[in-house]
Amino acid sequence: MRYFDARVIENRSLGAGYYVLRLGGCESLERSEPGQFVMVRGDWERDPLLPRAFSLLGVAPGGRADVLAKTVGRGTALLERTIPGARLSVLGPLGKGFPSPARGVTDLLVAGGVGMPPLFMQADRASRAGLAAQCEMLYGGRSSRDIVLVAEMRSLGVPLFLATEDGSLGRRGRVTATLEARIDEHRRAAGGATRLRILACGPKAMLWAVGRIARERSIECHLSLEEQMACGIGVCLGCAVPARSRPFRYVCKEGPVFDASEVLDVAQLVTPGAGNPALK
Amino acid sequence: MTPLDLSLTGPDAPPVNLAVDCGGIGFRNPVLTASGTFGYGREFEGLLDLHALGGLVTKGISPEPRFGNPTPRIAETASGMLNSIGLENVGVEDFERGKLPFLRTCGSKVIVNFFGRTFDEYVECGERLGRLDGVDGLEMNVSCPNIKAGGIEFGTDPRVLGELVKACRAVVRKALWVKLTPNTSDIVSLARACAENGADALAIINTITGMAIDAHTRRPKIATVFGGLSGPAIKPIALRMVYQVRRAGIPLPISGIGGIQNGTDAVEFMLAGATTVQVGTQSFIDPAAAERVLAEIVSYCRRHGVSDVRELVGGLRTS
Repeated sequence: MRYFDARVIENRSLGAGYYVLRLGGCESLERSEPGQFVMVRGDWERDPLLPRAFSLLGVAPGGRADVLAKTVGRGTALLERTIPGARLSVLGPLGKGFPSPARGVTDLLVAGGVGMPPLFMQADRASRAGLAAQCEMLYGGRSSRDIVLVAEMRSLGVPLFLATEDGSLGRRGRVTATLEARIDEHRRAAGGATRLRILACGPKAMLWAVGRIARERSIECHLSLEEQMACGIGVCLGCAVPARSRPFRYVCKEGPVFDASEVLDVAQLVTPGAGNPALK
Repeated sequence: MTPLDLSLTGPDAPPVNLAVDCGGIGFRNPVLTASGTFGYGREFEGLLDLHALGGLVTKGISPEPRFGNPTPRIAETASGMLNSIGLENVGVEDFERGKLPFLRTCGSKVIVNFFGRTFDEYVECGERLGRLDGVDGLEMNVSCPNIKAGGIEFGTDPRVLGELVKACRAVVRKALWVKLTPNTSDIVSLARACAENGADALAIINTITGMAIDAHTRRPKIATVFGGLSGPAIKPIALRMVYQVRRAGIPLPISGIGGIQNGTDAVEFMLAGATTVQVGTQSFIDPAAAERVLAEIVSYCRRHGVSDVRELVGGLRTS
């Protein structure tokens, strides 16, 4: 992990506030794993104050790193306006990523909206390892405008299943419905013999729904979580998430990817704080 | 990151004495890292030269481990951030076993921030930490709710604060600093209570109580509703309080804290009366911030013909 200056090589708008920043000077990110993230900040003086966390979309030899972002606030709005040559401070790679693709395991990559990057990177990793056929990408968003980089995704050779809530692209409905359908299909086709694994990143509601589906069907599941964080290195303790084995775990150091059985959905706890002294 | 100002450096640059004595501790330079923003030191290994710091102030330690508050715990605000972490820490025992061995190797002075929920816990914690090898001094966090007094901060009542300092002083043989809360209308009385009861130095200031609301969801942005505001937003308040205590003639050295982002900010605190400065929230933004602040202080001194940083302390011109 290093703290360094990167240069914007390209800022490619994808519409609807989505954009890909291609950064140069990121040699120290070359060995990053899918799911790992970086803290990024421009020369913004005092405001907005904190760097922004982004999961990596991809890294390439020569110090190139890609980040997909969507403008949701002032920090991402400033980044959307950066021009080639602009200097950005980068801290990374941070956190723990998704498990590697494995022979004999079919990975269902579930991506929701701007949570797609680490799964794109995972699909790329599988493709490079000759395991493209052993994973499939299930990618959902509100509408077709929230589904980006589809051509790039198709070029990885990984089966792609799209879903939009308004039905403007792919299957109408939530990506979790697609997930259930794909699990059923795999189980039917192999008579239940296929070993499935779910890797997911997206909005919280989607993640907890994915976690529930995995639990009900006894499927190994890894969720990449997002929380407010200031530092990215386990110091500010802002990114705590309630956990099963300890009161809290930290997204920045122990995540962002967690085994779904370890992290708890606060909203779903029947009695807040039950069995978790930190939540009282 | 802002490029380091390396003007007036090199072999021909005039020497600047950076060593300062603050509250019974000799520091190689006046730049420390503030409690709660630098973990237990090791988190920053490889991100800056820990040996280059004047000292580091640890996360606040309590007698027993604490798990901290519900989430969300932090929110960004205009030029600052709010936090309500809940004083989460590993406790004295784990600190000694798991954190202190590394801190001993850093080569910088180690100041351990500590607190308790009750009077007795403060005394117990101070006594246990003060006995440890490798601890150069203690910094009392008095911004905690006093459970037995309805949750009022220990540090807001000069009488209570004075008694607390006195009780800790009786058992702590090392340097004893008190980190004052700014949530008061009379910082000078609090400073005086510390001076009269045996404190060695004052750290000014802790975070300022604030809140942030999400208008869309109509909810507070952090779970505990109120949190501590830090960052450049609070610098003018911190400077004012350092200066008020200095001007009142309170006979204790001051460690200035509050929104220090660069060498100029640090120099301003020294001019207001601080002998050392603590870099806090900026370490979240730039993990090497403390080292950068130090380099920029040196650069300032060379540019202004200052041969000894101690000349800056209280050097504000008001006439």
